[in-house]
Amino acid sequence: MAKSDLDNANPTVLSVSQLPSRNLAKGHVRKGPDSKYDHILFPKQWWAGSSLNTDPSVWTSDEDEDDDLTLATDEPIDEQEIYGENYDPSSCTYLLSTISDPEHPVTLGQIAVVRLDDIHLSPSPAERLDPNTLTNVEVDLTPTVNHCSLATVIGLAVRVRLENALPPNYRIVVRMKDGSHAQDDQVNKQLGDKERVAAALENDTLKGIIEKMLETCV
Amino acid sequence: MATETTTTTPAAPSATTAEITPLPAFSPDLYQRAWASIPHPSLPLIATCHAHSVTVFSLSTLSKHSVLTGGHTRSVRSAAEERLEREIRLQSGENDKETEEEEEAEDEWELTLVLEGHENEVKSVNYSPSGQYLATCSRDKSVWIWEDVGNPNPSSEEEEEEEDEDEWETVAVLQEHDGDVKAVAWCPDVPGRKGKYAPPRRYGDDVLASASYDNTVRLWREDGDGEWVCVAVLEGHEGTVWGVAWEGRPRENDKFPRLLSWGADEVIRVWSLKEPEEEEHGEGAAGGGNNTWGFGVPNTMRRSLKEEWECTAVLPKVHKGDIYSVAWSTETGLLASVGSDGVLALYQETVNTTEKNEENETNGEAPTTTSAGGWKVLTTVKGAHGPYEINHITWCKRYDAGSERKGEEEMLVTTGDDGVVRPWQVRIQ
Repeated sequence: MAKSDLDNANPTVLSVSQLPSRNLAKGHVRKGPDSKYDHILFPKQWWAGSSLNTDPSVWTSDEDEDDDLTLATDEPIDEQEIYGENYDPSSCTYLLSTISDPEHPVTLGQIAVVRLDDIHLSPSPAERLDPNTLTNVEVDLTPTVNHCSLATVIGLAVRVRLENALPPNYRIVVRMKDGSHAQDDQVNKQLGDKERVAAALENDTLKGIIEKMLETCV
Repeated sequence: MATETTTTTPAAPSATTAEITPLPAFSPDLYQRAWASIPHPSLPLIATCHAHSVTVFSLSTLSKHSVLTGGHTRSVRSAAEERLEREIRLQSGENDKETEEEEEAEDEWELTLVLEGHENEVKSVNYSPSGQYLATCSRDKSVWIWEDVGNPNPSSEEEEEEEDEDEWETVAVLQEHDGDVKAVAWCPDVPGRKGKYAPPRRYGDDVLASASYDNTVRLWREDGDGEWVCVAVLEGHEGTVWGVAWEGRPRENDKFPRLLSWGADEVIRVWSLKEPEEEEHGEGAAGGGNNTWGFGVPNTMRRSLKEEWECTAVLPKVHKGDIYSVAWSTETGLLASVGSDGVLALYQETVNTTEKNEENETNGEAPTTTSAGGWKVLTTVKGAHGPYEINHITWCKRYDAGSERKGEEEMLVTTGDDGVVRPWQVRIQ
C-alpha cells in the first residue's frame, strides 16, 4: 500500500515509556495509568500465530488452579488486564493493547486507539461476584483520525479479541469515543449487533484482516 | 405502566402464580452458538439452527433425530417448517444469497429446492398460513415474497409422486426498509384476520410483518392489483427491532390479531389495529364521523398509509440488554422473553379493562379505547443458560415421557450461545 493511500499517514506513536502498564507483583494494589511505567515489556513473540478462535485456555493459562470456575473469583479481571497487563512476562496475557493497527506496524496501544482510561468494567471486579454474574466491559476507542474508514474493522478486532479471551459472563460493548469519529452512531450500532458481528467473521477477507491484527496478541 | 382502570371487570383469575422449572436439555449439546429452535407444526420434532447446519431433535426422546447439512455455506439463522397435505418441508435461511428448502422422506431430509435472489445473508423465513407464500428477509434490506406455483391445485395432491413439482416464484421484492431486515412473520389465520375489524376487501387476507435494523416494523399486504404494498410503519423502538410475533389466540369479538415487537432498546411493544367501529371514543382522533375506515384520516396528520396501528401496551421492563426473542402462546396467551442478559421472563396480560389510561408515546392523541391493558411479570429465571446469551425462545407441545398430557401440555424451549437447547416446564396456578 502506498503511503499516500493510508487514512492516517503519520500517526503519533507513543514511546514505550509512555504506555500504561501495571505492577509486576501479583496481588498488587491497583493503580491508575499515571503510576510508574518502568516495568513495561513488549510481548516477546510478535507474529506468533493466529489468536483468532483460540481456545478459552488463553486467559486461564497463567493460573495455578485448574478449575476455571474459581478463576474469576481468585483473580478478577480488571481494566488493566483487558488493556494489556504484564504481570507475568512469561505468559503475556495481553488483550487489547497489543492488537496491531491494520495499516501500520504498531499496536493499538502505541497509537492510543485503545486507552486504559477508556476501558470500564461494571460491576467492579473487586467485588468478586460469582462467575455467572454478568459483567459489562465498555471499551471506548479513539480512532486516529475522525474519518478513519477502518474504525469499524478496529472495533471488530477489539470485540473479537474480547469475546475470545473473556469468560462467557462478560458482555462487551465497543464504541467510538464521543466525537472521535464522524459516523459514531452507525459504527457503534454495527459493533453492537451480534448477527452482524457473526456475519462479518464469515467474510473471509474481513476475517483475514482481523486475524492479521490479532497475530501480535499472544 | 399506567394501568389505571376506571371500570374493571373483575372476572380475573385471581393472583396467578407461575413456576418455571428446567427439564433435561436436548442431547447432545451442540457446543457452538445456536440461533433458534423451531417446532414442527404437527410432528413431535424441533429444528435447531447452528453454524452451517440444522439439527432436528425429537420431542419424544429429547435427543437428536437427524441433521441437515450441506447446501449452506454460511450460518443457518432461521428455519421454518410447514406441513402441506402429506408433504413435510423444512426450510432454512441465512446463508449467502440463497434460501433452501428441504423435505422429509422416510426419516431423511432431502434438499428439495434452493431459492436464490438475496444479495446478502438471509435472516429469517416464514410460510404464510395457507402455505401459498413464503417470505424471506435479508441483510440486503429487502423482503422477498415467494409464491408456491408447483401445486396450483392442491386438492389433486393425492399421489405423493406429484409432490416433486416444487416450484416457487418471486412475487414481490420489498425494499422500503433502510436497514437489515431481521425477521418476518405472517399473521396467522385466526377468525379475527377476516373479522369485522379486518381492513376492507381491497387487500388480500395475508398480512406480513417485518422487523428491521432501521428501528421500524412494517406491515405488508397484497392490493387488488396483485401488488404487495406497505400498509403501515410502526415506529417507536429506539434500536434494532429483533423480531415480531402475531397473536395466535383468537380474540373476543373476532378482533384483529395484535402484533408484538421487541428489540435492542430492551422494550417489548404490543401493537393493535385501530378499531374505527368504536364510535363513542374513537371519533376525537380522526375527526371524521361516518367515513369508511381508512379514508377519514387527514393526510396532513398521517402519512399516506392504509392502516392505522398503535402501540397499545409496553411490557414491564425486565431485561438489561438486547431482547432477542419473545414467544406468544396460542394456548394461554402468555408471553415469554429472552435476551442477551440470560434472563427468561414470563408475562401475563392483566384483566380486561373496558377503558384505560393510554400510555402511548407514539402518538400524542387522546386516550384510545382498547381492551389491551396492562401486562404483569409472572416470574423470571435468571441465568437460564448460565452466563450465556439466549437467542431464541418458543412455545412447544410436550411429547416426552414426563408429560402428563402429551401433545397438549405446553413447554418453553430456549436456545443459547452455549449450544444448549433447553426445555422448560411451565406450571400456572
